[in-house]
Amino acid sequence: MANSATFSTPAATPALGKSQVQARALEEATAVPWYIWCAVAAVTSAMVGAHWDISWHRSIGRDAFLTPAHIAIYLCGILAGLSCGYLILATTFRKTSDLRAMSVKMWGFRGPLGAFISAWGGVAMIASAPFDNWWHNAYGLDVKVLSPPHVVLITGVFAVEMGTLMLILSFMNRSRGALKKTLEWLFLYLGAMILVLMLILTFEYCFRSLYHSALFYRVMAMALPSVIAGVGYASGRRWACTASAAIYMAFMLALCWILPAFPAQPKLGPVYHEVHQFIPPPFPLLLIVPAFALDFLRWKTGSWARWKQAVAGGAAFLGALWMVQWPFGDFLMSPAARNWIFGSGFFDYLTRPESPYFNNLFFRIEKTPGEFWSGMAWALAFAILTTWIGLAWGAWMRRVQR
Amino acid sequence: MNHMRALLVFLAFAVCASAHVGTADVYVDGAAGPYPLFVTVRPPKVIPGVADVLIRTSAPDVTGIRIAPTPLTGAGANHPPTPDVMQQSKQDPKFFTGNLWIMATGSWRVVAEVEGARGKGVFSIPVPAVATKVTTMNAGMGAVLFALMLILIVGIVSIAGAGVRESQLAPGIEPPAANRRKGRIVMAATAVLVVSLVYFGNSWWTAEAKAYSNNIYRPLNAVVTVDGSRLTLSLANTVTATRRRFDDFMAERQVDDFIPDHGHLMHLYLIRWPAMDRVWHLHPEMTGSGIFTQNLPEMPAGEYRLYGDVVHSSGFPETVVATIRTNGVSGMPLAGDDAAGTGPGVSEGPANSSVSNLGGGWKMVWDRGTTPLRVNEATQFEFHLEDASGNRASDLQMYMGMPGHAAFVKTDGSVFAHVHPSGSAAMPALALANPGENPHANMPGMNMTADSMSSVSFPWGFPSAGEYRIIVQLKRGGAVQTGMFNAKVE
Repeated sequence: MANSATFSTPAATPALGKSQVQARALEEATAVPWYIWCAVAAVTSAMVGAHWDISWHRSIGRDAFLTPAHIAIYLCGILAGLSCGYLILATTFRKTSDLRAMSVKMWGFRGPLGAFISAWGGVAMIASAPFDNWWHNAYGLDVKVLSPPHVVLITGVFAVEMGTLMLILSFMNRSRGALKKTLEWLFLYLGAMILVLMLILTFEYCFRSLYHSALFYRVMAMALPSVIAGVGYASGRRWACTASAAIYMAFMLALCWILPAFPAQPKLGPVYHEVHQFIPPPFPLLLIVPAFALDFLRWKTGSWARWKQAVAGGAAFLGALWMVQWPFGDFLMSPAARNWIFGSGFFDYLTRPESPYFNNLFFRIEKTPGEFWSGMAWALAFAILTTWIGLAWGAWMRRVQR
Repeated sequence: MNHMRALLVFLAFAVCASAHVGTADVYVDGAAGPYPLFVTVRPPKVIPGVADVLIRTSAPDVTGIRIAPTPLTGAGANHPPTPDVMQQSKQDPKFFTGNLWIMATGSWRVVAEVEGARGKGVFSIPVPAVATKVTTMNAGMGAVLFALMLILIVGIVSIAGAGVRESQLAPGIEPPAANRRKGRIVMAATAVLVVSLVYFGNSWWTAEAKAYSNNIYRPLNAVVTVDGSRLTLSLANTVTATRRRFDDFMAERQVDDFIPDHGHLMHLYLIRWPAMDRVWHLHPEMTGSGIFTQNLPEMPAGEYRLYGDVVHSSGFPETVVATIRTNGVSGMPLAGDDAAGTGPGVSEGPANSSVSNLGGGWKMVWDRGTTPLRVNEATQFEFHLEDASGNRASDLQMYMGMPGHAAFVKTDGSVFAHVHPSGSAAMPALALANPGENPHANMPGMNMTADSMSSVSFPWGFPSAGEYRIIVQLKRGGAVQTGMFNAKVE
């Protein structure tokens, strides 16, 4: 772990003010501070824990407050609280703190903006726990990702991720040399983790039986381009979108291949399928292709007005996703995908034997070609809008200093 | 009285639960191989939720019991989850406790695997699982969550303001007036956005709560008409699918898929209300989809409660409830398995009674002991017949294939349960739960010697305190004898 001594104030130059001295100390630092590593670990823990928990519910079913997966999720709150709490308290009460000149002020406290966002996320995560518990007592244990208390929890985790992203960003935008390079990679990694979270939020729309429906493309157009385009634009690296999508895919592939290596048995019924190991998440979306398209266009259209970039980028994103995910859906339905690499042979114990998913069939969400093309038109509109939001967000992030 | 005398009516008691009224708990007396078991299953009040299972065995050599839930029928019935080991009481080694998750509304069974010195035995208990409870948030929890929500709203608005005001300033620079103004504008916009999101969230919550309420158990709707002496019950499912919940079991119930319960598709108790001094146990025929008809016996004017037991092909039992008022029915003689009983009004006798006079010096006796009756306590209710000299009859006969039938009715109408010596589970459901087994094989609940039967007991537990009438029907000499008892539950 890096140490905070790296940021100790160097011998002050008489011509510089106190805040400038503190700022220069940070700019000349060469190591990533411990609280950034801590926040990155928090985010990683939450994402591993969330997928572990989903797999737990699909394989074992029954859980308790202190399952390993839940501990991993709550560890996010602990680690984020540790790093952000330190940052806010140290910046507020230590008048000589290096970070004081690069902090924002809120409710009498001072600290990097990212620290406040992460702290907010931690409070949201805490608030979701009694809410979720009450929800289960009132309406039964929900067997879906999207319920009001789950959305509060996911919003909390999202805020921790955004806070960490902003924390890295503020250091990245001020640093130089090797440190900047490391922070850029951490920034792209955080972008990938936000993609993972967005795809957890839309988990119920990510199964292969939906890859031939406009609904899938509409949901993905709403959820993804703003993250990929925003992170890519803020990073400034040549292939930032592609790299972030590649990290997302590598992270998900690791989960897809590691989780089934561990034994699990259903402890809830009805058990429509015998399960002997943890059920992995669906094979990751091939986001590297639409992300590459965004990168390519970003450099070709960099001088265009933002709305023109958004039209080109949104269309390219949706078109590339459609071109790869549609035929890949056919492949995932085929016997060739029923192996440990692609995981099409894994079904959770609750999958009904008569369901299209179990029988490797596509859901017929849109009943007519008109409905399908109407849905795709909406998907294009959403892709353009979210790409525009991503570009604007990315431009704003490039200027973040605190 | 050939014209329509009465026309009516309705149903729906808010406290209804499946199979019976006012209680969803299942009491079954059975055996897993050589090991007798008295099982109590208390299904969860919300689904998915946790069911409590309590098993008492009279066998001294039972070493362990494992339990697992499965749907009673369908594909899921063949693959139980990993069973749970029940806790054996240290003070009372013949008593075991455990709990199970019931994940969907519908017809379930709990499979109990018993191990002991005489090998393994298996016994399955049918469990109808439905949501019966609407929970509201208590004030304390509401206040805590509201406070957290306010903190989060104010917090995110402040963060948005700080971000716009200061996050892009060079180190050490104080925010200029333009940034402060922009910060205030963004805070106002964020506040509007967040309040809108909270409003949307509240709408979502309301929709989920409404969908849940739709899943609260309601028995099939029954419209009753009386034309002359002809009673017609028209059943209908008025619940519509919401597609928001994990299952829409309530909406998918049919009215033409009933299976016979000891020879009849419906067992109808007709009880004069509120005296409960006259009772008929009738068996209407299904003459159309969900249409049951029955020739009524001679009935005096008054109000009558109807409790009709049916069992779906899934093994899910229901009790439809209705009320009729009549100026009197000339009626027709009882036929087949139909039977009638008369007794003192429920308010005329003592709150607790253990003897019911049957005429001709005969009486039915409840061997109730001196232990007070308590809520939720699994109890064997044992009855016998004796003549004027106090000699106990030992020649009881089977009535519809059962040693006896008992109905437990709370005087306020909020509880009704039709119970057999095997327990409160419907017999077809018990047969579905134990395929290949004869549920009558061990004849639980009977005190039987080589060729005689001298008493009959019914396993059950009162779900709530109050005054009850217990209507017991035993058969002797080809005639059904109906005894009526009062019970006060503390």
